[in-house]
Amino acid sequence: MLTFLRRRITSSAIPLVVVILGVFGLARLTGDPANLYLPLSATPEMRAEFAARHGFDQPLYVQFVDYLAQVVRLDFGESLRTAEPAAEAVLRAFPATLQLAGATMILATLGAIVVGSWAAYRPNSAADRIASFTSTTAASMPDFWFAIMGVLVFAVALGWLPTSGTVGAPAWVLPVLTLLIRPFGVLVQVVRGAMVSALSAPYIKVARSKGAGEVRVVFGHALRNAAPPALTVAGDLTVGLVNGAVVVETIFGWPGIGKLMITSILQRDFAVLQAAVLVTAITIFALNIVIDACYALLDSRVRQGVTT
Amino acid sequence: MIKITRVPSTPRRRQAASALLALGAMLSAGACSVANSGPEAPGGGAAANTVRIVLPEEPPTLEPCDASLTATGRVTRANITEALTERDPSTGKLQPALATEWKQDSPTEWTFTLRPGVKFHDGTAFDAKAAAFSIDRTVGSTIDCNVDGYVFGGIELTATAVDDTTLKVKTAKADPILPLRLSFVEIVPTTTNKTGKVREPVGTGPYKIAKWDTGRSLRLERFAGYWGKAPEFAAAEYVWRAEGSIRAAMVKSDEADVAIGLAPEDGAGDAAVQYPNNETSYLRIDATKAPLNDIRVRQAINYAIDRNGLVASVFAGLGKPAGQLVPEGVTGHSTAIQAWPFDMAQAKKLVAEAKADGVPTDTPIKIIGRNGIYPKAAEAMEVVQNALIEAGLKVEIEMLDVNAWLEYLLRPFPKNLGPTLLQAQHGNQAGDAAFTMGQIYGSKGAQSSYGTPELDDLIGKAEQASGEERQTAFAAALEHQNKQVVRDAVLAHMTGILALSPKVTYQPNAATNDEMRLADMHPAG
Repeated sequence: MLTFLRRRITSSAIPLVVVILGVFGLARLTGDPANLYLPLSATPEMRAEFAARHGFDQPLYVQFVDYLAQVVRLDFGESLRTAEPAAEAVLRAFPATLQLAGATMILATLGAIVVGSWAAYRPNSAADRIASFTSTTAASMPDFWFAIMGVLVFAVALGWLPTSGTVGAPAWVLPVLTLLIRPFGVLVQVVRGAMVSALSAPYIKVARSKGAGEVRVVFGHALRNAAPPALTVAGDLTVGLVNGAVVVETIFGWPGIGKLMITSILQRDFAVLQAAVLVTAITIFALNIVIDACYALLDSRVRQGVTT
Repeated sequence: MIKITRVPSTPRRRQAASALLALGAMLSAGACSVANSGPEAPGGGAAANTVRIVLPEEPPTLEPCDASLTATGRVTRANITEALTERDPSTGKLQPALATEWKQDSPTEWTFTLRPGVKFHDGTAFDAKAAAFSIDRTVGSTIDCNVDGYVFGGIELTATAVDDTTLKVKTAKADPILPLRLSFVEIVPTTTNKTGKVREPVGTGPYKIAKWDTGRSLRLERFAGYWGKAPEFAAAEYVWRAEGSIRAAMVKSDEADVAIGLAPEDGAGDAAVQYPNNETSYLRIDATKAPLNDIRVRQAINYAIDRNGLVASVFAGLGKPAGQLVPEGVTGHSTAIQAWPFDMAQAKKLVAEAKADGVPTDTPIKIIGRNGIYPKAAEAMEVVQNALIEAGLKVEIEMLDVNAWLEYLLRPFPKNLGPTLLQAQHGNQAGDAAFTMGQIYGSKGAQSSYGTPELDDLIGKAEQASGEERQTAFAAALEHQNKQVVRDAVLAHMTGILALSPKVTYQPNAATNDEMRLADMHPAG
């Protein structure tokens, strides 16, 4: 297992370097921050002073070397927009996204296991058709539309939930539902497909012939074998959410990393953008390693390390 | 060679526990932030004497020397900090604030008498030293103050405290509107950081910062030591939502009392209040390139646009057809300039005449638009495109986001660019045409693609004039531009929308977008 983890961590280092290089270069292609941070009437001298003060007048390679030197010292610079340390802004926003993504994926995964297994238990039954219809509808639901409709119905018309914000359990309902609906739809279909195959396997018949109860057959035997493909898809969906749930964060005023990154791009706030992408990339690499580890735990063929 | 290593199998319960641990770790990593985020009044129901305001964006900072930035100024100005003078947005007249009176000693020297007995939120006394420090920090420091670029633009001045209540300001060149410029310099105590921007300033305003929960909410509370009349609301709670329909919904569901920056489609319904938002939409014509270098083509563009139709259909009636960038109430506004009349026959005739004289009227003209510059921005440009095509021109549209659009707005302009019409909008917060003319119509203005020596001369003379002469001189420059230069096609003075709950009374005005005075808000009834 340690060999497996070491290999995965090593292989993540190269993409991480590519991400650092990419975000630095691409950010600077978006244009001159002076156009945004100085008033439209600013004189050319003011623009030149601004560039010199923030090092934007230096050749790109010099700026990059300076940036790397800062990163090594865990200094990500200061936000042009808010005049606060970039790392502070990122470390404040990232937990909010992680929390939202975590709650969403736990609920989506548990819900999908129950509904997908229920549908697969009797393929082509009414239950299966209802589950398939529901999951297809959920998987194809535009999140922006769902969020706005949710606000209009549950907050404005019925007054049951707040329109937005982060305080109190009711404020979580609409953001989590909006984020959950598509992963739930996709996962139900994956779980159903995997469970249909698993439930028709010979070992299930053996288990039943030995007198195992149906709950144990479905959730004890079949689900364990159906889990790897669902875990893979759930992992991909989680990575997508950790990257920032921009629509949800924007609509519901959720102060997460996606909204921070979009604002940083639009405002050419290079320091915050670089810090946000780097922290997100490291988290996603770590998450992928955790998912692979879970996969290995579930499937002995994966954890049997293969070396040449 | 392949080597297979056998790993002892893990008991099933441990496997399940590991998987759950991974998910749990991810969840708990961020569990503290949102759970511990503290009060966020809207949604939870605010205290009765608190006004709840929802903004389109969080203020980046509350730095007083950036108060000319809309997102900063509408919270900071006249609420947390104050200036020596203030401009009445309805009359355009300059009024005393922290200075009670001022006089011009010579073309380059002014004396300001300061209000006695004023305290900063930290208890220190406001005096001439603080005023001089604030002016120097805004104009003479190296912290990229937005007010410096917006209001002073390289003007050199020196502020000196004569005694506690007397301030002398000297300028390198004569500046007839110095007191107006100083209405943008927010006064801070001498203990304020001069080498870096501050996020939470100390001021003399009627409210002080109680708590800024970054990313979530900002609370201001009434300052008990305020020198003027105490505002009625004991506190103000700001939150921010980027989506207009959510801001409107928050007022309708009693989560907020005031929501600003709304569009007609945001659904504020009966809560909507319209107000002139001090912005004027226009198309900047690049008159350096054929066929736009022919004044007949520029006139044809103006005749071809049905401004009444545009305002009625695209802007949902929110706006007023306009003929100049300087609106009523701003020094320099010309009552002689009206919106160009819609006359398609005249537009076709002018294009045909130009074509007959060899002007390449079939050269494609590109409209450079900006998404979201005002509601229905793309639709407005499509209406203009159709009108110009009907007049006999070839017109394409390219809609850009703000960053890409700025490359076209500001000098140096992109190279190898063909003839363009730039979709733009201008707001004159300062109340004097000097903040419009030079930068937009001057030959070398930061936003100007074309000017003439005659117009430069008129602008230069107007900038040196004062009083009634200044008004007349700027109006003359505007009229010259409108008749002899025709550098743009002004579309409409725009109208803003805010949503107001029945619990609050507030009369928005032309300054509301940039300076939303909490003292002007009152509990209803």
